[in-house]
Amino acid sequence: MAIDVVRPPVLPPRAGSTRRSALIVFGALAAVAIWIRVGDPEGTAWAQNFFIVFGSLLVEAMPFVLLGAFVSAAIEVFVPTSTFAKLALLPRPLQLPAAALAGVAFPVCECGSVPVARRLAQKGLAPGAAITFMLAAPILNPVVIASTYVAYRGHDSLWIMVIGRLVLGFLVAVSVGWVVGATTKDELLRPRSDDGDLDLVEEGEPRWARFASHLTGDFLFMGRFLVLGAAIAAAVQTFIPESIVGRVANLPILSLVAMMGLAFLMSLCSESDAFVAASFTQFGPAAQLAFLVSGPMIDLKLGALYAGTYRKGLLRTIVIVVFSVTLVGTLWVQVVFG
Amino acid sequence: MKRSWSPFRVGTGLLMGAWAFLFWFLLASGRWSLYVSTRTFWVVPTGAILLTITTAGRLRSARVDHAEPLSTRMSWTLGAIALPVVLILTLPPATLSGYALGRRSSFVGSGVTVSADDIASGQISFIDIAAAQSSKEGMVALRARAGEQVSLEGFVWREPGLAADEILLTRYVVTCCVADATSAQVRVVNVPPGRFQPDDWVGVSGRIYPLGSEILVDASAVAAIPQPSHPYLTP
Repeated sequence: MAIDVVRPPVLPPRAGSTRRSALIVFGALAAVAIWIRVGDPEGTAWAQNFFIVFGSLLVEAMPFVLLGAFVSAAIEVFVPTSTFAKLALLPRPLQLPAAALAGVAFPVCECGSVPVARRLAQKGLAPGAAITFMLAAPILNPVVIASTYVAYRGHDSLWIMVIGRLVLGFLVAVSVGWVVGATTKDELLRPRSDDGDLDLVEEGEPRWARFASHLTGDFLFMGRFLVLGAAIAAAVQTFIPESIVGRVANLPILSLVAMMGLAFLMSLCSESDAFVAASFTQFGPAAQLAFLVSGPMIDLKLGALYAGTYRKGLLRTIVIVVFSVTLVGTLWVQVVFG
Repeated sequence: MKRSWSPFRVGTGLLMGAWAFLFWFLLASGRWSLYVSTRTFWVVPTGAILLTITTAGRLRSARVDHAEPLSTRMSWTLGAIALPVVLILTLPPATLSGYALGRRSSFVGSGVTVSADDIASGQISFIDIAAAQSSKEGMVALRARAGEQVSLEGFVWREPGLAADEILLTRYVVTCCVADATSAQVRVVNVPPGRFQPDDWVGVSGRIYPLGSEILVDASAVAAIPQPSHPYLTP
């Protein structure tokens, strides 16, 4: 049976204060709307580019975040805590690969896997396994495998890209999980002073109401970081030309680093990034593989989500391990396949 | 105990409702095509339905025994998440313009999603032309159709070195969302000099000539057209 943390009744807010802050925020939103209509920021080319990319990232990602929040809320309300306690007893060499392969059953983008991993860790799954699942799910899922196949169909490097992405993605995710290792839940998850504001549950509330509370809480929590990450990614796509990385296309290690950096900046969805990677014809298969493996695990949009969810140390660990293991793996690919 | 409306739950319910409204609006107005491709169109109705259900659930449970505060900080958080809704609803419909060309890679390379057989038969499309430039088989198939009549739509772009009667007819190819857009271009010759400005949408009719690794369209007619309802191509 799932156990909700029922918070003690809080003091009633001052109605005037609540009303005043709500009115100020509503007024600010109205002012933005008026400024857009009067100022016509889209008359400026860079502003138009920024708003279109920003909007498109959110329109595509929000439903996935919501799907992730649905799964997360269902885990909280319907899956007994004892289930995860039993899973946590499994030996770690088994836990991590199993967590990585669980992504096959969860075909959503990286944005959806973050709230699920957070909930899994909260419910008692070993933090390393939760992180492994979060990083592997956006790569080891049937939709992404199929899109990678379609994007590279007809290329000589087809199977290097499809199999390489699967194998290296698996290895990188397990490596991060292994490094996170014995971290406890409290060391993993960022303490949030406003946590209680997000998914308040009252004693005796029916299950569906608790489900709605947790769902809304996860959506709010992830939503604000998604908005921030999408804004940063849109700004990068607006002001930084992709051609700047083309200058290092023929340099052995720098080409790999450049493509990982580009994947970080572009913040693409893992279901479409193969089509973009394939368009970088000046880069070899190894560099394109580096783009495809590191991008769904760490980018600007995800960086904002991770920073809000996990402690700083973990974000640092993810960045260092993802980049170094991907670099080593793709260097092997570069040596063997050119 | 007397139950009362929770300001926090009502506020979050309204936020979810605003997002639900945005997705229904995109669906009803057709503006979804400005943000996602036909391939990922399904996220729009899915988002609309899920958000509507969530909104209903949140508002249905908004009456509580103990009042829940809506702090100033939380009000601003809700406002920040609502901001994109306001932006998308208020901004006039627009697409990526020539400004983005220097910040995107070209479609060449990923164009092999179109087979040589597709290029060899049927009407020649913009995607066929872009795809032909990425594979030997595709170019061979297109060369066999040299001199055939084509009708293409795109926006005008010019680069230094182009003759006065030439333009680069351009479309963006979007796989999932606009963030992954790549550009496809074809050189059009015999265009009335000075009549069209960059970013103008035009319809071009003419004959196609693959020359070496380049593809030209010798225009017999070029006319201004309104922006298509689906401005991005999907491979």
